[in-house]
Amino acid sequence: MIRLRLVIIAAVFLLLDAAALAISQGGPIPAGVILVKGTWSSAAGSPLAVPEAGVVSQDKYDNAYFGLSYAFGPDWTQRYEGPPPSDAGYYVLAQLEPQDAALHSRLGHFLIAAQDLFFTTTSAHSAMEFVNYYRDHLGEDYRIERATSKLRLAGHDFVRLDYSSPASGLHWRVLAMEVRCHVLEFVFTSSDARSLDRLVTSLGTMIQQSASPPVCIKNFADGDTVLEREEPVLTEPRFNRVPARIIIDQEGRVKHIHFLSAFPEQARVITEALSQWRFKPYLVNGQPVEVETGVVFGRAPRAGISAQP
Amino acid sequence: MKTLLAPAFVMLFPIALSFPGAAHSQTDPGVRPGPVNGQSGATQGNPLPLASVNANSPTGILEFFDNGLGRFQEEEVVSGGVNNGLGPRFNTNSCSSCHAQPAIGGSSPANNPEFQTIAQGIASGSTNTMPPFVTPHGPTLEVRFPFFTNSNGTPNRNSPNGGVEDLFTVSGRPDAGTCNIQQPNFRQALQTNNIIFRIPTPIFGAGLIENIDDATLMANQEAQAGNNFGIAGAFNRNGNDGTIARFGWKAQNKSLLVFAGEAYNVEMGITNEVFAQERPLPQEEQNDGLPANCLNLAGRGYPEDATNFNVPANHDQAAQNAQVPSDVVLFAEFMRLLAPPVPSQSSPGGAPSINAGFALFKSIGCAVCHTPAIRATQPSNVTASLGNATVKAFSDFEIHHMGAGLADNVSQGGAGGDQFRTAPLWGLGQRIFFLHDGRTTNLMAAIAAHRSSGSEATQVTENFAALSNGQQQEVLNFLRSL
Repeated sequence: MIRLRLVIIAAVFLLLDAAALAISQGGPIPAGVILVKGTWSSAAGSPLAVPEAGVVSQDKYDNAYFGLSYAFGPDWTQRYEGPPPSDAGYYVLAQLEPQDAALHSRLGHFLIAAQDLFFTTTSAHSAMEFVNYYRDHLGEDYRIERATSKLRLAGHDFVRLDYSSPASGLHWRVLAMEVRCHVLEFVFTSSDARSLDRLVTSLGTMIQQSASPPVCIKNFADGDTVLEREEPVLTEPRFNRVPARIIIDQEGRVKHIHFLSAFPEQARVITEALSQWRFKPYLVNGQPVEVETGVVFGRAPRAGISAQP
Repeated sequence: MKTLLAPAFVMLFPIALSFPGAAHSQTDPGVRPGPVNGQSGATQGNPLPLASVNANSPTGILEFFDNGLGRFQEEEVVSGGVNNGLGPRFNTNSCSSCHAQPAIGGSSPANNPEFQTIAQGIASGSTNTMPPFVTPHGPTLEVRFPFFTNSNGTPNRNSPNGGVEDLFTVSGRPDAGTCNIQQPNFRQALQTNNIIFRIPTPIFGAGLIENIDDATLMANQEAQAGNNFGIAGAFNRNGNDGTIARFGWKAQNKSLLVFAGEAYNVEMGITNEVFAQERPLPQEEQNDGLPANCLNLAGRGYPEDATNFNVPANHDQAAQNAQVPSDVVLFAEFMRLLAPPVPSQSSPGGAPSINAGFALFKSIGCAVCHTPAIRATQPSNVTASLGNATVKAFSDFEIHHMGAGLADNVSQGGAGGDQFRTAPLWGLGQRIFFLHDGRTTNLMAAIAAHRSSGSEATQVTENFAALSNGQQQEVLNFLRSL
């Protein structure tokens, strides 16, 4: 009897597998699904969090990578998720708009974004420099309402920039902070400045507390910190930039690889190579610690980019 | 038919959802009346060349433009006659039949020439049937199947296709011999949703686009870095040398010559010096290719379009010179020398509304991708108007993720299934159909389609939604002034 049950269970699983295979390979193409992807983000096989994997739930946004939990309240919803990360390290993490679409013009909407400072095409090294870069490239159609300034809110250090557009009557409040060598940005937009002030105040509910993130160091994979290095052989000339964030464990081995933008075959080949790299352990107070850094494969970034317009 | 109609409902419904109160208040002014391309003297059949070309500088160039315009309108046959080589598979028999609105060189016209293909005997009704998505009032369509099919006809998602599936065959035509091939199985593709559409891209001002240096485009991209609109595009780089490709819906083509050569081969089935082999359907190519009795139907060997080495002596040297190049070279020259559209300063809605609309367009972030002007083109060795010019195309020529709502699951070069080149907006005011598949004739629907999950344009569309009804109308007026 037990054997019969096992056979039945196995048969059911086989049927389910066959059905799943039929759906995945042979059924009609579903509408509104991106099946054929170009360059995309991936972190195959790693259990660690990645920046783009934040979650918008009923009234808050949680992001395990950034150790972020932001309760924005029940009036907001995300109808449309953002695009994948760019090859310049830019993330659209969440896009919130009012639950009640009729309130859109009054309440506005907001964006949670991040810029990886390892891969930015600007020369910004900090939240302040990044916000200033944006400020300096604002066109003549905008007016600065509040100069770039530092702001401490609920125990967190932000850089704040307020500006508006006389043409549209829209106001923007940008609050930026640094987390794990990223600029984490909250961009609030509305025609009603008071609504924006309430949203800025709501950031006071935000909790940003990573348990014990790795030390992030730019260019750690350059120079003599790399003891063993196996170069990936990319066989197809794609001419794209392949940025990868890696985490190196205390023994100097690569324990996590996150491709922000890569073709699948590029990710596969580079992963095989990176798994063979060995680094000098990085010491803090004489103890080896985990390090997070960035490596760029493929097309090199342009040189000589200035933060000034 | 069912599949084609579905996107229209999908698109129109969100208008009411996305822009509450807007659907009744803002109106797309529609195709702008008045001078064709905003140019005094232009007509549907006679688009204007660049100013220096019109001045015949350098001497003889105007003859090349005129000759190219003439060849662009030639109607091709399979064999016999002067203009032959059509097929064995094709979408149309003339470039200008699809590139027609508002003038030759434009996009899809209101009356779909594809729908007349059988009635006019261009394709035989005994061997061809009109695909259900080809309708009398357009848009003119190019069809692709995103995936190859399994033996039972279902799409195989592990086998991306994306090549063009020509609408018609020459089989049954009196000038096509014994060639006997079938149309693609469009009904099956519709049933399995394994089908996408493209409409013709307008080519006015294409020479200016071709003559922008890569460094200029990259500098424009860097200037937009750190924008607060959620936008971060990339370039579709040519797989041969890594330089920036810029023509086609996904910026998949590097140059106008490649663009012309591919189109002549793919859309009309005419082999040429750029694409020298007859083109089977993608699935056909994986099997045995085209049957032998469908090859060399013109009887002249390949390529069917070639340089004319033996042009008779002519007392008009310029006219003689212009007869020498092959069709694709003259097509490319014609596109290169076409003047860009001229925006209206007052229509629709008056100058104050248009100016306000332009300011709003920039304010809400449209201009991050739809860059109003790129300065400046390289010095030109062709004609003065192409050199050191400002390109007011309203495009950054980058490819951007446009989300699940617009994705067509066709990869071209470095562009994935959801990435599209920022469509140049110059000439928008006199276009009828919008977006890559021509799914709408309504600008409000086109704007609404910019937001969906995975799109870089969602924040900008949110900004548009935050505008008052009057402001939205000004944006529409501005767009229709282009």
